[in-house]
Amino acid sequence: MRPTTMSRVRIFLVAATLAGFALPAVSQQGFPDGKWWKRPRLMAELNLSSEQSREIEKIFVHSRTRLIDLKADLEKKQLALQSSMEDRAADRRTVEKEIEQVENARAELQKARAVMVLDIKQVLKPDQWEHLLQMQQEMKERRMMAKEGRQNGYRQGPGRNGARTPRGE
Amino acid sequence: MHEARSTTHLTDAQLFGLAIPAAGAPEALPSHLSDCLACSRALQEWKGAVRELAGEMGPIGARTPEAWAEAEDHTMRSIRRAGSVRRGTPLRWGVGIAASLLLIALAVPMRRSSPGAPSGAGIAASELSPEDQADDALLRDVARLARADETGGSWDSLVPEPGTASREEERL
Repeated sequence: MRPTTMSRVRIFLVAATLAGFALPAVSQQGFPDGKWWKRPRLMAELNLSSEQSREIEKIFVHSRTRLIDLKADLEKKQLALQSSMEDRAADRRTVEKEIEQVENARAELQKARAVMVLDIKQVLKPDQWEHLLQMQQEMKERRMMAKEGRQNGYRQGPGRNGARTPRGE
Repeated sequence: MHEARSTTHLTDAQLFGLAIPAAGAPEALPSHLSDCLACSRALQEWKGAVRELAGEMGPIGARTPEAWAEAEDHTMRSIRRAGSVRRGTPLRWGVGIAASLLLIALAVPMRRSSPGAPSGAGIAASELSPEDQADDALLRDVARLARADETGGSWDSLVPEPGTASREEERL
């Protein structure tokens, strides 16, 4: 793929994102993954009541089928694109079309998830929401630090005090 | 007294035989003793116990039946004491190893459940019912796919930047 096509893809991504969910208040990047409202320790940390947990569960159940369908659709399209990308004889237009299909499917999935998150947000009190996002951010930072630590450990090599490094210094 | 502690270590019976060799017999030490510090120490303890006993009991020919019985009891007590000291070390090692294995067994599932988790990343998946675990996995997959941060979902992984591609080719 040439840079021109790459640029098109990026423009398309931005457009799809803007068209798909103009929801600046709902930061999907910062929203926790998984079924956090069912975890006792998180419920306690957030001071989440059983009633709130049940309400969030209802919202999730309402979205679940659609999420499953959209996820499967995206994965199928990704698979088709991957096959085409690996095929040296693949038609350029076909590949471009498949890229668009993948990003369309992703945008649909993002939209469905964002709507669900927005509904969940309505159930939470403002301080609970802030606390939830804050916890997610802290977790993200901890993961990044752990990842960097592992990478630094690798760069330093297995020896103590940098005695042995991959560069052989 | 005659129990075998280990298939590799000397038994109490063997240690006894070595500590009090038969009269006139040459002291034939098994080669295991030169390799095994524990058995070597145990033999020294056995020999020490025998010497201690001999010093307390006086000349053998002058002993009464009561003195022989007392000597036998004393020997048995010394042998049991030496045996329990020797068995203590493997027991401590066993407890340490078991504790380490338990920690590893607990730590591995927690690490597996951590990717993508919120602040409760260390929370074991067992907190959730099987149905909730399936939902949890679905939500994580959805988030991962929506963010395009999976392997193969990112455009960078499909089409590396020109500079990156050339470096990859150079490596090949």
